[in-house]
Amino acid sequence: MPVFKAPFNGYSVKFSPFYESRLAVATAQNFGILGNGRIHVLELAPGAPGVTESVAYDTADAVYDVCWSESHDSVLIAGIGDGSVKIYDTALPPPSNPIRSFQEHAREVQSVDYNPTRRDSFLTSSWDDTVKLWAMDRPASVRTFKEHVYCVYQAVWNPKHGDVFASASGDCTVRIWDVREPGSTMIIPGHEYEILSCDWNKYDDCILATSSVDKTVKVWDVRSYRVPLAVLNGHGYAVRKVKFSPHRRSLIASCSYDMTVCLWDYMVEDALVGRYDHHTEFAVGIDMSVLVEGLMASTGWDELVYVWQQGMDPRAS
Amino acid sequence: MERAMERQKILLRHLNPVSSSNSSLKHEPSLLSPVNCVSEVSPMAAFGDDIVIVAAYRTAICKARRGGFKDTLPDDLLASVLKAVVERTSLDPSEVGDIVVGTVIAPGSQRAMECRVAAYFAGFPDSVPVRTVNRQCSSGLQAVADVAASIRAGYYDIGIGAGVESMSTDHIPGGGFHGSNPRAQDFPKARDCLLPMGITSENVAERFGVTREEQDMAAVESHKRAAAAIASGKLKDEIIPVATKIVDPETKAEKAIVVSVDDGVRPNSNMADLAKLKTVFKQNGSTTAGNASQISDGAGAVLLMKRSLAMKKGLPILGVFRSFAVTGVEPSVMGIGPAVAIPAATKLAGLTVSDIDLFEINEAFASQYVYSCKKLELDMEKVNVNGGAIAIGHPLGATGARCVATLLHEMKRRGKDCRFGVISMCIGTGMGAAAVFERGDSVDNLSNARVANGDSH
Repeated sequence: MPVFKAPFNGYSVKFSPFYESRLAVATAQNFGILGNGRIHVLELAPGAPGVTESVAYDTADAVYDVCWSESHDSVLIAGIGDGSVKIYDTALPPPSNPIRSFQEHAREVQSVDYNPTRRDSFLTSSWDDTVKLWAMDRPASVRTFKEHVYCVYQAVWNPKHGDVFASASGDCTVRIWDVREPGSTMIIPGHEYEILSCDWNKYDDCILATSSVDKTVKVWDVRSYRVPLAVLNGHGYAVRKVKFSPHRRSLIASCSYDMTVCLWDYMVEDALVGRYDHHTEFAVGIDMSVLVEGLMASTGWDELVYVWQQGMDPRAS
Repeated sequence: MERAMERQKILLRHLNPVSSSNSSLKHEPSLLSPVNCVSEVSPMAAFGDDIVIVAAYRTAICKARRGGFKDTLPDDLLASVLKAVVERTSLDPSEVGDIVVGTVIAPGSQRAMECRVAAYFAGFPDSVPVRTVNRQCSSGLQAVADVAASIRAGYYDIGIGAGVESMSTDHIPGGGFHGSNPRAQDFPKARDCLLPMGITSENVAERFGVTREEQDMAAVESHKRAAAAIASGKLKDEIIPVATKIVDPETKAEKAIVVSVDDGVRPNSNMADLAKLKTVFKQNGSTTAGNASQISDGAGAVLLMKRSLAMKKGLPILGVFRSFAVTGVEPSVMGIGPAVAIPAATKLAGLTVSDIDLFEINEAFASQYVYSCKKLELDMEKVNVNGGAIAIGHPLGATGARCVATLLHEMKRRGKDCRFGVISMCIGTGMGAAAVFERGDSVDNLSNARVANGDSH
C-alpha cells in the first residue's frame, strides 16, 4: 500500500474532495516543537511506491493542519504554528504561493476545516482559545468565537447544516455553535480530560464523536447530551483524532498516541472492528476518502504517510 | 524557545494529564502576547440584541435671539431632525415605536404638545407616540438612554431619542431657579438647587482651584477646534440644513434662509480679548460670558434599534449604545458631575476611563469642564476635538442628542483606533450623566448572516 516518507514529522492528512488520487499532508520539523514546516501534495499512482509528491510548500513554522477548499479544486488552507493561516493554490507556480497569509491568531493554529455545504468559508481553531470564521475573499476573519478557556484543538462544520459547527477544547468541553447566534448554542462537558478532536456523523446530523486524553472516543447525540450514546475504549493513550466515515453510518476511525489507528462501529456491542499498528511513532493524522469508499490515510510522527483500503494491511506493498 | 517549551508542555499534558478538574488547565501567563491583549481590553462582542444607533443628526446650533434660528419655532426645529433620521435611513415612519424628546425650559405639557406637532410635521402617522423627558442639561442624552432601555425592555423595536431647545423662545431664568417654597430656604442643599448656574461655576473654580487663565484657555481652544471643524467641512456629515425664515428686527422683513453652520463660533477668539471680559456672577470671580457655554437654539435626533433588526434592514451601524449612568452630586458644585458620572458609566460598560478613545464633555462652564478633565486625567487630544459648548452653544435639551451625532460621526471618521466614546454633562441641581458608545463597525460582525428560515441553503 502506498507509503510516503516525509522529511518532517506528520501532523495531518486530508484527501482532496475533487480528485480521488490526491491528498495533502501537513508536517512539522522536530515533532512540531521547534523548526519549520512543510505541506506536501501527494498523488496516488498505480505501481510502487504508489505515492508521489506533486508539490511541496515550506513554511517558517510547523504546519499543524491542512484542508482542501470545497469551492476550488486546487486550493488548500494550512494552519501554522506561528498563528498564521495560509492559503495555497496548487494551480499556480510555487513562487506565487502562499496566495494569502492571515495573521490573526495569537497562538498556534491547531485545525482548519472548510465548510462542505456553503463552500464559501472555513474555520480555524487555535491554542489562543478561539475559533475564527473566514471567507476566502475577505482580508480578515469574519468572526471570532471566544468562549473556550483553553486550547481549541479542533473545529468541525456540521455536514448538513451550513451554519453549525462543533469545537473541541482542552477545557474538557465541546461547544456547538451556530454562526448566526451570538454565542455557543450548546456546551457538552464530554470528558474529564482534554478533548482533542471531534467529528460529526455524516448521515445523522445530531451525532457527534469526541476523542480525549482519557483514551476514549465517545459518541454523543446532541439532543440528549448528558449521557453519551457510546464510550469506545481500546486505545492505550490519548486519542488524537477521530473521524466519522463518509460511507458507513456508524463507522468511526481514530488515531492515538498509542501509535495505532482503530476502526469502530459504535452501534455494535463489541465496537472495535479494526486496529492498524503500522506507525512506529504517535499516529496523529487520519482521513477517510469521500470519493473512494474504504480508502483511508494516516500519518504520524514517524514521518510516514500511509494510504490503504480498510481491511487490508497498510504496510502491504 | 518559550514557545517550544509551551508546545512541549501541552503535548506532555496529553500523555500525563494533570488532573480531571477543568479549571486547572491554563496557558502559561508569560506567553500572552500584547497583540492578544488588545482583544481582552473589554469583553465586548457583537450580539443581536445590542442596541445600536443607525442614524444621528443635528441641526446647526445658533445663538439665541440673534442667530440663525431666532425666528424658528421649536416644533419646526425638531421636525427637521426627526424627518432626517427617517428619510436618510429610508425607514417607514410608522415603524417607529416611540419618540422621546429631551427639552428643558418650556412648560411641560405645552412643549410635549409641540413635539407631537413636530412629529406630524416630519411625516409621522397617528400611530407613533411622542413624549418628552426633562433632566435639565442631560435631557437629550437621557432621551437616547430611555429609548435604548425601552427597546431592551421590549416595549418597541425602533425608537428615536431626540432633543430640542429654543432659547430664543424660552428664556432661562438668569437669577437662578424661581423658588416658591419657603421651606427650601431651611435646607441648605435645597437652597443650593436654586443657585444660578453661574454661581455654581464660581464655586467649582474656587473650591478646586481652576484659574481664570485656565478657563479662558479652554474657551480659546474650544473656538479654535470648532472653527477648524467647520472649515474642514467634516460637520456636513452630521448637520441637517434647515430651511427657515429670519425676521429683520428693525424692518420686520422676512427672509428665507437655510441654516447649516454653527454661528456661535468665533474663530478669532484669543486670550487677550477674553481677559477683557468682566465676570458676570461674582465680583473678582472667574466666570465670564466668554468662558461659559452660549445660550442657543438647536435640535438633534438619534435613531436606535436592535442590531439584529438593523442587519435585517441592511442599515449601517453608526454606533453601539453600551451604558448610561447618572449620579447625584452637591448642587452647589453641580459642575463636577462628569467627573463622577464618567467613571460610573465606563464601569457599567466593563471598561475603565483609560479605555475610552474619544470624549464629548459639555462645556457648560470652562471651570467645571477643566476641573472634570483634570480630575479624570484625560488626554485633551481626545476631548471635544471639534470644539464644545463654549464655541458651539448649549441648547439645553438638545445638547445630549447633538453630542451623539458629533461623537459617533467623529468616531467613524477616526476609524478602528477609536473604539469607545463617552458623552457626559453636568446637570443643574447637582447631577452628572454619562453614556458609553462603541464605534459601529469595530465589533466583529458576521455580515453574511441571514435570518434563518428553516433551510439554511
